[in-house]
Amino acid sequence: MNNDLNLDREAHERMTASTRRGGHQTRANTIVKAADHATPLELSNITIHYGGGKGGAEAVNVVDDFDLTLHAGEMHCVAGRSGSGKTSILTVGAGLTLPTSGRVFWEGDSLETMGDDEIADRRRALIGYVDQGGALIDGMSALENVLLPAVPDGEVDKRRDMAKDLLDLVGLGRRMRHRPAQLSGGERQRVAIARALILGTRVLVVDEPTASLDRASANRIISILKDTTSDGIAVLVASHDHELVRQSDTLTELI
Amino acid sequence: MNAVQRFIRSRVLLLTASILIAAMCLSVLVQGQSQAALNRTVDQNSRGLYDILVQAKAGDNGGLMQPDIATGQGGISFDQLDSLRKLSGTSVAAPISLVSRVTQNLESPRLDATDYLGFNAGLVGTAGDPSATDPAKWPAAESVLSDSPKNYRLTASAVSSDGQSDHTLFKTMAEGSLGKARLIEEQVQGGKNVRIAGPKGETGVKFPAPAGGSEHSLFNLSVSLPLAPQVTESVVAVDPVAERALLGPAGDFLAPLEKAPPADARNASAIGRHFESLFTTGLSMDELKEGPDFLGVKLKYWAPLMSQYQQAKRAGQLTENSQAIPLIVRSGTSLDLEYSVKIEEIDDSGNVVKDVGTVTRSLDKDYLPFVSKSPFALAWPGSKDLAQLLGDTGGFSQGLYNPATWSTDFASAPKYQDGGTAGNGAVDKSATPGDWVTVNRLPEKAPNGAPVDQTQRKPVDERAYREDLETGQKLATPLAMVYGTFDAEQVKDVAGDVNRLPLGGYDPTPFTLTKDAAGKEVGNTELKPSLSATGLASQSAGAITDYYGLAAARGYEDNASVIDAVRVRAKVPGSWKEAQPEVEKLADGIRDMGLQATIVAGSAREDASIFVPGYSKDDAGKESPLGTVQQSWVRQDAADAVSGSLTGTNLTLLFLTLIGAALLTGASTVSYVRKRRSEAGTLRAMGWTQGRIRSWVLAEFGVGAALLAVAGIVLSLLSWNPATAIVSASVLVLYAGAAFFAAQQLRHRDVVDQEPQHDERLIAVDSPLTFANRQLSTNKFNTVSLAVAVGVFAAAVGGMVALLIDIPRAAGASALSGLAAASITLPSIILGLSGVAVGLLLTMVTGRFELQAKRQYLGTLQAMGWNPDMLGQVRFFENAMVGTVALPVGVLGALGVGLLLAPYASIWAAVAGLVAVLCWIPIATKVVR
Repeated sequence: MNNDLNLDREAHERMTASTRRGGHQTRANTIVKAADHATPLELSNITIHYGGGKGGAEAVNVVDDFDLTLHAGEMHCVAGRSGSGKTSILTVGAGLTLPTSGRVFWEGDSLETMGDDEIADRRRALIGYVDQGGALIDGMSALENVLLPAVPDGEVDKRRDMAKDLLDLVGLGRRMRHRPAQLSGGERQRVAIARALILGTRVLVVDEPTASLDRASANRIISILKDTTSDGIAVLVASHDHELVRQSDTLTELI
Repeated sequence: MNAVQRFIRSRVLLLTASILIAAMCLSVLVQGQSQAALNRTVDQNSRGLYDILVQAKAGDNGGLMQPDIATGQGGISFDQLDSLRKLSGTSVAAPISLVSRVTQNLESPRLDATDYLGFNAGLVGTAGDPSATDPAKWPAAESVLSDSPKNYRLTASAVSSDGQSDHTLFKTMAEGSLGKARLIEEQVQGGKNVRIAGPKGETGVKFPAPAGGSEHSLFNLSVSLPLAPQVTESVVAVDPVAERALLGPAGDFLAPLEKAPPADARNASAIGRHFESLFTTGLSMDELKEGPDFLGVKLKYWAPLMSQYQQAKRAGQLTENSQAIPLIVRSGTSLDLEYSVKIEEIDDSGNVVKDVGTVTRSLDKDYLPFVSKSPFALAWPGSKDLAQLLGDTGGFSQGLYNPATWSTDFASAPKYQDGGTAGNGAVDKSATPGDWVTVNRLPEKAPNGAPVDQTQRKPVDERAYREDLETGQKLATPLAMVYGTFDAEQVKDVAGDVNRLPLGGYDPTPFTLTKDAAGKEVGNTELKPSLSATGLASQSAGAITDYYGLAAARGYEDNASVIDAVRVRAKVPGSWKEAQPEVEKLADGIRDMGLQATIVAGSAREDASIFVPGYSKDDAGKESPLGTVQQSWVRQDAADAVSGSLTGTNLTLLFLTLIGAALLTGASTVSYVRKRRSEAGTLRAMGWTQGRIRSWVLAEFGVGAALLAVAGIVLSLLSWNPATAIVSASVLVLYAGAAFFAAQQLRHRDVVDQEPQHDERLIAVDSPLTFANRQLSTNKFNTVSLAVAVGVFAAAVGGMVALLIDIPRAAGASALSGLAAASITLPSIILGLSGVAVGLLLTMVTGRFELQAKRQYLGTLQAMGWNPDMLGQVRFFENAMVGTVALPVGVLGALGVGLLLAPYASIWAAVAGLVAVLCWIPIATKVVR
């Protein structure tokens, strides 16, 4: 099974991928759109199993033999119903969890050969991760949250203006002193996106950015994501929002 | 879902209640064990053979009492003794008195050199004993001397040591020629005579008078050496029947004293004349050994008396009033006295040609006061004892060698002044010596009437005596009769420490020199009785007699108040605690008689540090201090004090453990309830009133409280004492208080989470440290809760450490304290450690409520590219900052608890509090990870 992404947007081609889940054969339909970009993120033969340990829980194959090549400036959407493994693919792609098997490549380098510190450093330079719901740190203003990724490199002051620009960009220029509790869900999501972009990220990994949002807020988020691709940023987004699916360059639908 | 189900569902409540109950059970159990061990130790070591020491009315001697042998104060009459015995609570009343100090000149020392000429006609008449060797089997002649006389120089010396310094009593030299003896057969009227004489030209060796010269005898050449020093022994009077009742089987050595003749049959002259008549009619050796009895005692036991009688008669010391005194004498001595003779062969000019050798004898465990014959019979190097060839001829000749010089002087007992008191109650003292007296003088005349050269032995100035007892009667010389022996060590073992003190009776406690006069440590040298300045140290009584013996020696009249003390055992069995009421009642009865009753039961030994001035005097008369000595004294009421103090320590440890645990449970509970605010909000949204929500939450805590109450009741039933009940109730109250406080935290807020906008004055987040700071300041309540919990934990740890360190001081300075403290140390440490473990566990539980939130934001940071090292720093800084907030609470709390419970260890409490917080930081950091 292979997801070949070198296809034109209008030439969606449904490919079938077989996965095993709980002993039952299921199908994953991948709509592959053509693009000619570099490959900052590549997933190869990714399999993710949960459970089956000593606790006696039934083993679940969430993802089986999944491939993905993400090019610069491309927005790829992983769609599917709840529990289909969308978030798992994203966290594996972001190097936050390890797959049961398979390999993850960041700009051609396999994560297998990297230690925890190197993964963290490479992630900071390459990937911006936006958690479901836009997890912000309580007690810190929107601006401070955006600047958090700059802390490890000691670039908080250096990137302060950029952070403000990003907050302006996502429409929160006047809310930068507000704390998470004082922001709406959509606003928190936008702050999280701004935070993910603060270090000049080349890959944006976004988990369910429009979930629980009204249509207008969701469209705004989608617009922001779409705009980032024009700057050459690759976006890997998990969602079952039809509008987001529609606007993405390539799509993997997990079934 | 009812309250029980909700309580079980909320695992944290169940967990904290379980930890608290487990801590209660463990603590009470360990404390119970500890208390039992303490009571056992105190009981076993604080009631000995007698309970009350009765003395004549004197000043109050409460507190720390000095040990003493009977000091001869007297003051108790026989009528009073009878009254004591008639008291309903009296089981045994055993009187004791110092009869006298008795000075004895040891038999003249001699140096025997084997000079045996073989069997000869001169020996025929002497070998009459059936046990003698067959003449045909006698060995060949043998001698250590040469055929022709050689010149020798003999240097005799005696040295006495108190263990710290040696004192040479004399050193005397004599020269002369000695050679092998020869048999001279002489024709005398009626036949031939064989005699033994020295070789031609032999001058012999003669030390100054009263020592005789050298003399050839059947087996040896004997050189009479200078007189041995005088040895002074004390004689103590007891009632043998009462004493045996007191000592039990160990007092069997007194049985012969019970059979001693009655007072009216002890006239020394009458007894002596009776035996003279026996010997006049002829008495075989068998009769002498086996019978007949005289006054119930076999003849052989009268032999020493006869020896005394004959010598006293010759010396003119025997009067019609002289009495025979039955004695049980001490085996061995601790008196350090060494007699030695250096033998050198010299030429005519006095130059040493050959060192023949030095021979030495000391008084040792075989020495018997008043009995030992020839304790200083020294043997020339290479000599043998061939006297046994003649068989057993010593039966009648054994025994006292010289009439002892009896005096009614009393043993020395320095007076003491109290100095400083140490933290554990030990009191420093300084001794005030009595007057100097001169002892160890030579007699003015030798037995043969010759004047004695006084330069050959140096008298000693000793602080060994004080005033005489005024009886108003002229004393007659008593004659000692030896009835048996006793082993002072065995008596000491039976009597035990408690009974040995304060009235030592037979066995006063030794002094140990710890510092010299300059205050320098000297390594604990035990001071021995010596013939130098020995006023401070005394050894066991040299002999024990009965009260008839006392009467004979002191010459008192009927019902004189000559009893120094009476040791009374109460008629009540069991441990000291069980017997205490009856003993105190008996003591009150004795006090009503006008006597002083000191309750000895419940006392314990304690080392008193004593500075001794004026211990020795040089030739110029200058006095020098000895230094500092230690001696076991008696701390009255030590058992109650030790028991009370250590019980207090035990209970405080228990209280600290459980109250600390309860406080931590409270903190943990409050933190937990904060987490349930959203649940309360939901319930409010459903229309629940504030009161109903509170009741709903309190019902859950009620389950925990019920469990605690049940645990408290069960524990109180299992280990009933007020402390368990109080501690259980306190824990319950604290838990309930925490529950109410927690419920209060769920109250409805009119303004919900109206957090202010970000304040730019806040420290910018630009590092793990500032991030941690922001997190903690954002969650102030939980941060403070956790910090308080850690502070309480640290204060409790500090308090426990202070208490553990303070145990020896709290126990006191007595020997019982050491035993008691040792018995509770392990349980106390277990209690302390379990308290620390419970505290640590509960602080972890408190911190765990924040764990989910921590994981969430640490995950966010990780997703943003913060590496593991930085995440670790965040965790560490958070805990370090909580620790920083907790530090003053912990350290000051520990200091306060320490000052309250164990002031002497309060600094250690503060240090322990500090260490506890510092240790908590990395442990908590690991747990969050």
